[in-house]
Amino acid sequence: MAFIEVNNLKYRYPHTENLALDGISFQIEKGQFIGIAGQNKSGKSTLCQAFSGLIPTMFKGAYGGKIVIDGMEAAKTPVAELCQKVGLVFQNPFNQLSGAKDTVFEEIAFGLQNLGVPRDEIVKRVEENLRLLDIEEYRDRNPFDLSGGQTQRVAIASILAMNPQVIVLDEPTSQLDPQGSEEVFRVVEKLSEMGITIIMVEHKVEKLAAYCHKILLLHEGKQIAYDTPEQIFSRDDLGELGVEAPVFTRVCRALSVKEGGTYPVTLSQTEALKGQFPEGLPGRQAGNGSQGQQGEGADKHAGSSVFTIENLNFSYTPEVTVIDQLNLKLDYRPTAIIGQNGAGKTTLVKLLKGLLKPVSGSILFGDLDISGKTVAQLAGSIGYVFQNPDDQIFKNQVLEEVMVGPLNIGMSREEAKEHARNALTMVDLLQEEKENPYDLDLSERKLVAIASVVAMNPDVLILDEPTIAQDARGRAIIGKLVQELSSQGKLIVAILHDMDFVAEYFQRVIVMAHGRILADGPGAEVFYETEALKEARLEQPHVTALCQALGYKGAFLTIDDMRL
Amino acid sequence: MKSISLYVDKDTYLTRLHPFAKIFYIVAAISVPMIVGTLWMYGVLIGISLCLLISGGIIKKVFPLIAFSFTIIITIFLIHGLFNQNNVNVLFSLGPLEFYKEGLLYASKIGLNILNMLLTFAVFVLTTRPATLVDDLEQIGFSPRFGYMISSVFQIIPQMMGTMNTIMDAQRSRGMETEGSLFVRAKAFIPLISPVVSSSLINTRERAIALEVRGFDSKKQKTFLSDHKLKAGDKLFMLGMTVLLIGSLIWRILLWLS
Repeated sequence: MAFIEVNNLKYRYPHTENLALDGISFQIEKGQFIGIAGQNKSGKSTLCQAFSGLIPTMFKGAYGGKIVIDGMEAAKTPVAELCQKVGLVFQNPFNQLSGAKDTVFEEIAFGLQNLGVPRDEIVKRVEENLRLLDIEEYRDRNPFDLSGGQTQRVAIASILAMNPQVIVLDEPTSQLDPQGSEEVFRVVEKLSEMGITIIMVEHKVEKLAAYCHKILLLHEGKQIAYDTPEQIFSRDDLGELGVEAPVFTRVCRALSVKEGGTYPVTLSQTEALKGQFPEGLPGRQAGNGSQGQQGEGADKHAGSSVFTIENLNFSYTPEVTVIDQLNLKLDYRPTAIIGQNGAGKTTLVKLLKGLLKPVSGSILFGDLDISGKTVAQLAGSIGYVFQNPDDQIFKNQVLEEVMVGPLNIGMSREEAKEHARNALTMVDLLQEEKENPYDLDLSERKLVAIASVVAMNPDVLILDEPTIAQDARGRAIIGKLVQELSSQGKLIVAILHDMDFVAEYFQRVIVMAHGRILADGPGAEVFYETEALKEARLEQPHVTALCQALGYKGAFLTIDDMRL
Repeated sequence: MKSISLYVDKDTYLTRLHPFAKIFYIVAAISVPMIVGTLWMYGVLIGISLCLLISGGIIKKVFPLIAFSFTIIITIFLIHGLFNQNNVNVLFSLGPLEFYKEGLLYASKIGLNILNMLLTFAVFVLTTRPATLVDDLEQIGFSPRFGYMISSVFQIIPQMMGTMNTIMDAQRSRGMETEGSLFVRAKAFIPLISPVVSSSLINTRERAIALEVRGFDSKKQKTFLSDHKLKAGDKLFMLGMTVLLIGSLIWRILLWLS
């Protein structure tokens, strides 16, 4: 008998009609690293909760089939007992904190105290895990004061301290910046080497491909396949299933680079097949960019400046400068701002929106100095979508929620409804207009929040990390929205952590670190400024990295750039 | 994160004193003057509290509290000095206002009582880490759920206050005026408060999961990271307070008998 056996697992949430999990059966050997892939709402998180016994103990509903972990049946073991065998780490690092302990040390000890582990043993295990996750220096800090990546490591340490043999990670990095994600992935890799069985849900398929022995592919609660990453990502029907293959696989597919019937899934596998790649590729040239993003569209506005920022300084407290003597002109090109957390990106866009006032220096919107205006007065011209959609949703119907902004800026009800409908069409949620926003998935709520600002028809749209929590389909929707609004002559400014997305949809890229601009220009230039990227601790888009590894001369940002 | 606890993190004999010993102090310091019933006894205990606060290096934190309580105390003096029903003898007059002796005496009793309670609680609250108190309460048998409830309040309320600011910004960004007349503010209430409530509900659900997978429901006897046994000093302190309490009772009874 395998270490973990899932046998014809079925589950339906209370008060729903469709099965969230429908006939899942697979086996995991001890020490394996298993990935779970699928679009949003395909049952990935539900499956994670079934592993930790929360389903059906905590969520009730209809449950069939069984999960047996090392001889224990998950549905019949109390969660308090099962948690010593299976640890669960989920998306939002802050909600995983117990919320009752005011130092990192006590936070990690919390679970062990509940389990009645002897005191000496608790101290020993906490110390061990502080060291393992490299968070020793924060031991006496309040866990709520740490960054996302640090908090997620505290969360993992708290789970690991309970000595589980299996760790289930449900999109552990989806809400973290690139550096935070890297920190978490390094830890995950280390755990796998230590022989802990790992089950991980992750949208960053490049990571799944690099780590997993096997991947379980889900779609609408059904098991589509359970196989090696190479087999899974070489399938022809991934598009229909709402899953994107790793960039390397897609490149190889476009260029028909194959080995033994499957496409490579990692950078090193792809490099190994260097011989099959064409000798040279022209790379990106003017007019040859993907999806018409170079030339036409927004380009006609390129000269005129929307925002003129001069000698801008900002700080929250006198000791720490957040924005340092910044000079910048923004024109109508869609612009991405990239950089680590704390680089000053959000502060900068909040200044543009008038939510913060400069300490010194000026920001002109067209010819208008925005410092004299209230945020509400600027709302009609400058739209800003916040990171967390739950910070703004308060109506109990999607359409009503989207109409709030338009009504606030003085549109008539009819007009507001029309704008709201149009905006919902752009994010492909018109069919949900009568739903309660809280019944939607987080990724959909984010799209509702975007629509609610787009409906106000602003000249400038500022997006703060719009791609977080989105699957391949959601990212494509947002990408299309950026292109469409841009071709209507609007300025899109987005803070992003997803370099592939930036490379694909944005004409101008601004790299920020320590409140300063390190690089600024078209993606084809900025992503080759390795020094600036290194200082900002950012990585190149996958395609760019691959083409450098393959030794191609020229600029490559997207898969389209790699065609002959 | 801004803390809502008033605890001042200083290593003094007051912070090291066991929370229970400090609770004994509260009980004694509040009931002794009431039992004895004379004004000078209030003075003595206020003096003791002030000495404790000064020696604990936290007297500065108390000034705003005292200042605030004075606004109340002055009102009490005005009302009772002028209008108390037992007023007979005029003590002094300020222009047309005549202050009576009986009312002023009554007011000083209430005033001193308020000041005394305030300072006594200040001694406790400013020198006791909430987490330590909760830990100690759990150790003498309060349920971990009760303990969690208390300590989570100290963590989660500041977090909610942070969310409130973000929500305010998010709604302003959609053209909602949040500043101005009362009517404008009233209209902004629902859009501001409902996201706070609903996002805390969402967070609560996730937090419940987080607690569950950390074995919060475990039937096993919980381990405590430290014992916080009452030390000799704590016991001596508690004994002193008990003696004071009993002493004042005896004094009162003797007064009755004579």
